Amino acid sequence: MKKTKPSIDPVIFVTLGVLFIAAAIVWLAVQAGADSTAGNSGLAGQLLLAFITGLTTGGLSCLAVQGGLLASSLAHQIEQDYAADLPKRKGVKKSAPVRVNSALPIALFLSAKLVAYTVLGAALGWLGSYFTFSPALRAILMIGIGVFMIGNGLRMFNLHPIFRYFAIEPPKLITRYIRKTAKGADPIAPLFLGALTVFIPCGVTQAMLATALGSANAMFGAALMFAFTLGTSPVFFIVAYLATELGAKLERFFMRFVAAVVLILGFVTMNSGLNLIGSPLALQSLTRSLFPSRSAVASAPAQPAPTNSGELILNVQNRGYSPQVLKAPANSALILKLITSQTYSCARDFVIPALNFYQLLPATGTVEVNLPPQTAGTQIPFTCSMGMYTGVILFE
Amino acid sequence: MLKQTFKVLDMTCSNCALKLETLEDTLAGVQRIDASYHKLEMTIEYDETQLSVQEIIAAVQRSGYTAALANPPK
Repeated sequence: MKKTKPSIDPVIFVTLGVLFIAAAIVWLAVQAGADSTAGNSGLAGQLLLAFITGLTTGGLSCLAVQGGLLASSLAHQIEQDYAADLPKRKGVKKSAPVRVNSALPIALFLSAKLVAYTVLGAALGWLGSYFTFSPALRAILMIGIGVFMIGNGLRMFNLHPIFRYFAIEPPKLITRYIRKTAKGADPIAPLFLGALTVFIPCGVTQAMLATALGSANAMFGAALMFAFTLGTSPVFFIVAYLATELGAKLERFFMRFVAAVVLILGFVTMNSGLNLIGSPLALQSLTRSLFPSRSAVASAPAQPAPTNSGELILNVQNRGYSPQVLKAPANSALILKLITSQTYSCARDFVIPALNFYQLLPATGTVEVNLPPQTAGTQIPFTCSMGMYTGVILFE
Repeated sequence: MLKQTFKVLDMTCSNCALKLETLEDTLAGVQRIDASYHKLEMTIEYDETQLSVQEIIAAVQRSGYTAALANPPK
């Protein structure tokens, strides 16, 4: 009797089981911590906060930034499964959808990410204040990764042979060694790309990295990043798995669908990088320049005029900045007051590229930034550190 | 030992190249295989007394690809 393949990959159950067990361990640690610290924010409390932050805002915001790398690693698997299925499909008029073994690469990707961030957390805790990512470095990385993803998307569309060079071919020495040890299995791409996510942390992740850095304790840094990254994993897994399973059912449009997703994510990543350096080529800046009547400048809600002491108020909220367009008088020095209130999103990781200003704002509080006098017509864009939330100060 | 290059135009990703290179472990008489997705070709070093071009092409076909000699004899 012919064996039928289970409809759901067992790797899902294993991975979800591991996640739930890990969550239970964190939960138990928190319970113990809550008892011992009697309500103050002790070690366990901070770990729980990190886990919940990852589970909620962290998972989604990281997916927005790092989803491209995950999609790239899945694309390899999808292509492989599709190619493997081709001989079976020849001569068959109406065949079943290609089954994609997406659970394993997702699990490998997330495992590598978890290990990489835990190690990074330990390293940051150890290095203390000697190590940090500048917004400019992150922007360059994001633009580079965006270009890589766009190239890969175009490669999958088979647009031109040149785009084949966007596919990473590991050195023969390494592939030969892996083949000999892994018997043809190919876990390298998702593992490598999962580990690469440490170079493009989302804003919430950066907040966690900053906390690990400030702790000056390798063990705490590692535990914090482990709890946070673990929290982001279920969102990554569920969204990615559902997306690829849906893709598998699209049959004829399958490969093009994956290519389109990679392409779109590539543009989004590159645009975020451009925002981060305040580039006029970023989509938001282009929209403001090309369609001033339709942009946020025209539709900006009324804002309080600068106070007598020359202060501009910008509310930094979980969903972005309010107002998005700040109108300021030209030729006078001003103080920009950044006000946060229970703000935990990446919006609090505030960057003004033109002034080389970069600061992780407190979750609740006020930070003042000195704005030097600007001529009328000058626009100074500001953004969160992942280039997702943006706004501009207009001098007139 | 003979060294021949084959064009494999239906490779779609780097994994295809890795998959073709696994023939090195399964095909008797093969000394070394280097496949490249970038170039869409596969270079194979083999013992011509044990293996023929037709057998190589057949083995590649069993892996799901189509190989043809890059420089066929005229």
